[in-house]
Amino acid sequence: MKNLITIGLPSKGRLKDKAVDFLDKKGLKVLQGDKERNYFASIENKSNIKIIYLHAKEIIQRLGDGTLDVGISGLDLLKESEKNLQEKITIKQKLNFGEADLIVAVPDDWIDVQTIADLEEVAFDIRSKRNTRLRVATKYPNLTNNFLVSKGVTQYKLISSLGATETYPFIGSSEIITDITSTGKTLADNNLRVLKDGLILKSSACLMVSKKKLSILKNFLILLS
Amino acid sequence: MKSKKLSEQIVKTFKSNGFVLSEPDVLLDSEYIIQRSGENFRRSMLTFENEDGKVMCLRPDLTVASCIKFLERKTKSKSKIYYSGQAYRRTSKKGSDLVNDQLGIEILGSKDQLKDDFKVINTILNSAKKLKNKKIKIKVGDIGLFKKLINSLDMPERWKLRLTKHFWRPKYFEELLERLEKNSDIDAVTFDADKKRFFEMKKMSQDTVIAGRTVTEILKRFDKKIKDPRSFSEGKKIVTIIRSFLKINCKLSQLDEKLLDFVEKNNLKKNIFKEFKSILNLKKLNKEVTFITNFGRNIEYYTGIVFEIFAGKKEIARGGRYDDLLKSLGAKKSIPAVGAAINLNNI
Repeated sequence: MKNLITIGLPSKGRLKDKAVDFLDKKGLKVLQGDKERNYFASIENKSNIKIIYLHAKEIIQRLGDGTLDVGISGLDLLKESEKNLQEKITIKQKLNFGEADLIVAVPDDWIDVQTIADLEEVAFDIRSKRNTRLRVATKYPNLTNNFLVSKGVTQYKLISSLGATETYPFIGSSEIITDITSTGKTLADNNLRVLKDGLILKSSACLMVSKKKLSILKNFLILLS
Repeated sequence: MKSKKLSEQIVKTFKSNGFVLSEPDVLLDSEYIIQRSGENFRRSMLTFENEDGKVMCLRPDLTVASCIKFLERKTKSKSKIYYSGQAYRRTSKKGSDLVNDQLGIEILGSKDQLKDDFKVINTILNSAKKLKNKKIKIKVGDIGLFKKLINSLDMPERWKLRLTKHFWRPKYFEELLERLEKNSDIDAVTFDADKKRFFEMKKMSQDTVIAGRTVTEILKRFDKKIKDPRSFSEGKKIVTIIRSFLKINCKLSQLDEKLLDFVEKNNLKKNIFKEFKSILNLKKLNKEVTFITNFGRNIEYYTGIVFEIFAGKKEIARGGRYDDLLKSLGAKKSIPAVGAAINLNNI
């Protein structure tokens, strides 16, 4: 079909429910097939719209390569993705769910470290005393790098993490972390504290559109705004 | 082939001034460079993984590559070298070249600062002189002068460290000044809470390790921080002094007078700028030399004199003194050095 619109939605959890709600409120009722785990869905009375459930990161990749026309995913994931991928995607609208901050956190008991400037001094300390660099565990290497370098911290090394990053400082895998947090509870429960000027990015779910398709989708996007 | 002839002429001048060819490795261990220069270098390097799983890079800069070569040779004596070759790096600017032709000289282990600074600038000028008769102008600054100013001002050590360390990063430096102005460094509420924790932690076993740092280490630094003047109200005044210093921009012949004027206006000690002979020495060049305090702020490793040479409006060469680079690349002692490179594209 020539005017087929493919929309990618997060496949799991609250983000999925909220994304479905969002479409619902715009008059686009998502119809789930009778197989519960099927990754495809459709919209009531709109045969030209196809819904695909994907991992939030995948949605950005697929918007980039043109498989998807429209998608709902996190701003953090978009900003973390490769630059040439980002250039192919437009943020149409920030949505009022999926809010979370990407932050720099240090152990609570590092009472001498309140700001990034403190962190930098400690990094130099570690370097001169032990000839190693401050290790920063993160799932967001690109955003973390840009942030730390722009704040003048250079004596560090990234440790890439796939999950439970909060444990890293206490099992000897890193000294500090950057991570995504919405309530701050996980951080606090794991004896970590956000630096005062340690906000890297304020993120939320966003409605994203493949740039190439912007003009064709003009009418459809009016419906969503 | 005009440029080939050109570089041959320049190399001839280098040689006749006692500089010896150095041919640094094209492939370098990228971890080694990142270990020492920091993660921000990674982005600009062209890397690949070799069969042993080691990440190698094409040399991003010939000064750095020459320094590494110098350290490998383990010579202790002064080394006057020139290089002519390609450096490889990525920039964030679209369409900029990955391959840069670099042609330059370095004096590694340069102890006679006055003589060697002059030698480098003069050699570069002589090599350029043969090429064009355009009006030569020199812009010069001195990072050391800024450090002297900062050290003479009455402010907490941590601020001195920050300001000197980030001088070469103008945007962040400006953020620092704004914070210093408002004194938004320590906030009283969390500070009191932390002080409570401080006394609790004093009772803990002092060699307990928290995320790689011992309790002793943490408490010592915290203690130092509170002993530094806490409500630091002079911030605004100090920022005004720094800003007015960074506005000095004058002919070399007026520099003495300008600095004296600056010192008097701000009630600073008269002798804080006593050593800048290397700059004054440039009067001997008989060229138009402009001194700018707000200068040489784009490369981290400069520590003293920095200069750019212009033929008309085009920059044809730049260089400076970098006394800490060799140490940061692994030398046991600090090995002072000075050097400059010619921008062939602009000649």
